Amino acid sequence: MSHRILRTSVDRRTVLKAATGAAAGFYAWGVPGKSYQRALAQESVIQQILAIPGAGSEPTEADMQRVGELILEPTKANVQPGEFQGQRLTFLGLNNAGKHNLVFRPLLAAWQEYTGAEIEWIDLPQAEIFPRIQQSIASGTVDFDILEGGAPWEGDILGKGLAAPMPDWVAEQIDMSDYVRLLQAPVGTWNGETYRVSIDADAHNFNFRSDIFANEELGAEWTAGGGSQEWGVPQTWQQVQVVTRFLNGKQLDGEDLYGILDVCAPGGGFSWYFFASRATAYAKHPDNKAWLFDPTNMTPYVNNEAFVRAAQDIIDALPYEPADQVNADLNRTGFEQFLAGIGSMVHWWGDVGSFVYTSDLSVVQDKVMFSILPGSDDVYNNTTSAWETLPSGPNFAPNEAYIGWGLYVMQRAVESGVDKAAWSVAAHLGNKDLGTWMAFYPSGFQPYRNSSFAEELWAGAGLPPEFISSYLSSQADSYNHPNGAIEPRIPGIFQYYVAAETELARAFAGEVSAQEALDAAAAAWEQITDDLGRESQIELYNAALG
Amino acid sequence: MQQNPAIELPTADAPIGVTAGWRQTLGRVLIVGASLVAIALVAVQVLRTLGWTTLGFQNWRPVAIAYLAWAVCLCASLVLTRGERGERAVFVLPAVLMTLAFIIFPTIYALFIAFHNWNLSATAGREFTGLENFRRLFGDRGFWAAMQNMVYYVAAVLAQYVIAFGLAILLNQQIRGRKFFRVVFLIPFMLSPVAVSFMIGKSLLNSQYGPVVPALEAIGFTGISFYEDPWLARLNIMIMDAWYSIPFMMVLLLAGIQGIPGEVLESAKIDGASSWQTFRHMIFPLMLPVSLTAIVLRVIFELKLIDVVRVVTGGGPGSATDTVSLFIYREGIQKTNVGYATALSQFYLLVIIISIAIVLWLANKAVQKVS
Repeated sequence: MSHRILRTSVDRRTVLKAATGAAAGFYAWGVPGKSYQRALAQESVIQQILAIPGAGSEPTEADMQRVGELILEPTKANVQPGEFQGQRLTFLGLNNAGKHNLVFRPLLAAWQEYTGAEIEWIDLPQAEIFPRIQQSIASGTVDFDILEGGAPWEGDILGKGLAAPMPDWVAEQIDMSDYVRLLQAPVGTWNGETYRVSIDADAHNFNFRSDIFANEELGAEWTAGGGSQEWGVPQTWQQVQVVTRFLNGKQLDGEDLYGILDVCAPGGGFSWYFFASRATAYAKHPDNKAWLFDPTNMTPYVNNEAFVRAAQDIIDALPYEPADQVNADLNRTGFEQFLAGIGSMVHWWGDVGSFVYTSDLSVVQDKVMFSILPGSDDVYNNTTSAWETLPSGPNFAPNEAYIGWGLYVMQRAVESGVDKAAWSVAAHLGNKDLGTWMAFYPSGFQPYRNSSFAEELWAGAGLPPEFISSYLSSQADSYNHPNGAIEPRIPGIFQYYVAAETELARAFAGEVSAQEALDAAAAAWEQITDDLGRESQIELYNAALG
Repeated sequence: MQQNPAIELPTADAPIGVTAGWRQTLGRVLIVGASLVAIALVAVQVLRTLGWTTLGFQNWRPVAIAYLAWAVCLCASLVLTRGERGERAVFVLPAVLMTLAFIIFPTIYALFIAFHNWNLSATAGREFTGLENFRRLFGDRGFWAAMQNMVYYVAAVLAQYVIAFGLAILLNQQIRGRKFFRVVFLIPFMLSPVAVSFMIGKSLLNSQYGPVVPALEAIGFTGISFYEDPWLARLNIMIMDAWYSIPFMMVLLLAGIQGIPGEVLESAKIDGASSWQTFRHMIFPLMLPVSLTAIVLRVIFELKLIDVVRVVTGGGPGSATDTVSLFIYREGIQKTNVGYATALSQFYLLVIIISIAIVLWLANKAVQKVS
């Protein structure tokens, strides 16, 4: 399974065995063996921290402080005790669902004690963080030294020279070669310089209720009702639509059953991703990297037949979804509904999976499994403006939604002489072992390092093997999919998203048709492109496509 | 006691003698010097902003400090040159200068911005586009949907007025616990609208985990959702808005009722007028000026409605509950389209001013007619 997860040409176990044997050999030789001793110590750190507090409970602040202490060794190698005494850093990040900054705080307690630096926190909700940054940039009042930012914003931040390039000692401390393919350059880089310490990788996967799709009574009803294939987990969005209609009015263990859970309310640009996940299998052709704009002139594709079909799917499914779904935001579908046992399918980031056994919100332990996003029986070809059925079968195109959160040190830190402290904070939070811990427990982050996909680490912390395998596969297969729908790192990308989700909300509420809404979105996108400068957007979009 | 004729005492309005002359000169030097420095700083910063020079500051903060310093010098100069008259002016001047700095200047500057395409993500920065933003807003479906909602929300003020008037009359009666009820009815007004919206709209009425839906389901209702239907969502917003707004009108109206001379009502009673006749022909006409003040104030507040909608529905479903302020917030803050958002604000300000002017004119006519 592991080799399937890593999707590399060499078996991971073989590599580990060879490395272990070689290191043992070096150890026998003396001095070079010290690196092996360090490797053993690292292994021991990751095992220790993954056991804090262990599957079945959510980490307390004290747990997180302990984890922060255990991962301090790499910092000690580069920073002297009390080296940053009297320095004050400002850290701007999220406070979603009590995670992100609220996890960083205790994780950095030991770092602060060791280095003597103080950190001032600016906590913002997801829908407000990007506008806040934009205003700071535009008004020349960047008032933070460290930014928790998304890769899609790099056009706005790195393109304007607001961040500082990463020093070599940081790159060495965090081991960037371990990042998953999705996060390798050009992500985090601009004009050949590296700026980002990754702490997360993001792609939408498909979370489903394994108990519902394995239920024999429902299977019998499905067959009796003339279900076109065997009762089971939908593989395509077309099947998702059929299953959603089928489950309407049915119950399991006295609870009403629902099919897919859609995000319909605008959410500062983040709701776009949920619509996009419904659309990528229709809109992202394997022969064409561009799925949002025509790369020659930035003409939007958002009102083509593929996107209209996706919007119409949501409109058609809404009557069968829970009451008031038309006002559902992302927190509702992921946490208030799916983890609370409402709905049988949800497309979301990997947070849902990492919450199943480790969050107090969850009531669906032993009932959830995962896959990459559903595919489509046919795919729209932007070049020929026609639907195609691929000889290889359904078209799968995971939405590499948001690419992932990272930490950026701003030029302001350099100007005020606190840049080394700022980079040390970023490197501490970008710690290799901590990456696995943050993916395992509710933190707001998913696995972003190849080393985090070692199933034995997760099993050691107490999760069921089938669950781990399913979860990690869905993540890795999404990150590494050859037809992944990559998000362009162009300036103003969230303006496009906000415009589209505002228009889509009108279609979901029945004010306009799907085509009318997306035509309006396309017109808004054209306006935004003109506002931002069409020529530069074309250039940056093509650069982002690679 | 006799005054010593050798000592010159400067009078309040006409300082005389050597001391007064010295004071006047100092005052003039002070204001001229401060003005020259302030003008020079503004000029250099403007030239820097236009890209004609590299001199100047990184931002406009030093110019703002220079304005404050100039304001202090102006006040000091007035006192020195005009004596007591200057001191009297100093009581008013800070307020005038603050209004100039925080209301007049931003309004004029906003008008300037409204004629520009200024998207914060644009690499080209701000560009003059003339009336383009205003042309664009006339074709903006979302903006006009929000404007239409504002008509509904403003119309709901009349319902708030009727309820507030009823409560004011009730609280003016000699009823047991009158003082207690007066305080209780004021509590919603004391609460933050955001807190009210969150507690009621987002929590109690939540279709997923709020207690109201299960309670209604327990008595036989099914498929309950307070925000799915556009009109029901709008109505819920209006009710929440009314809940914390009615006390404000009620207090104004209660004060008005208490101001009606007792003998007027007593004479009506002696003449055999019924309660309804007393209200219809005495209280209501006498309360008209207060009523119009209360309504106009509430309309102005209502036109700026954003908090309840932002917290509870975000303007949805679709644009069913959207308000103009929320729409402008989205354009300016979320889409960072500052030029267009500013043009929308300026246009909306114009609409509010014209609407309120018409309402006040009609109100004056009505009051004159009644009186």
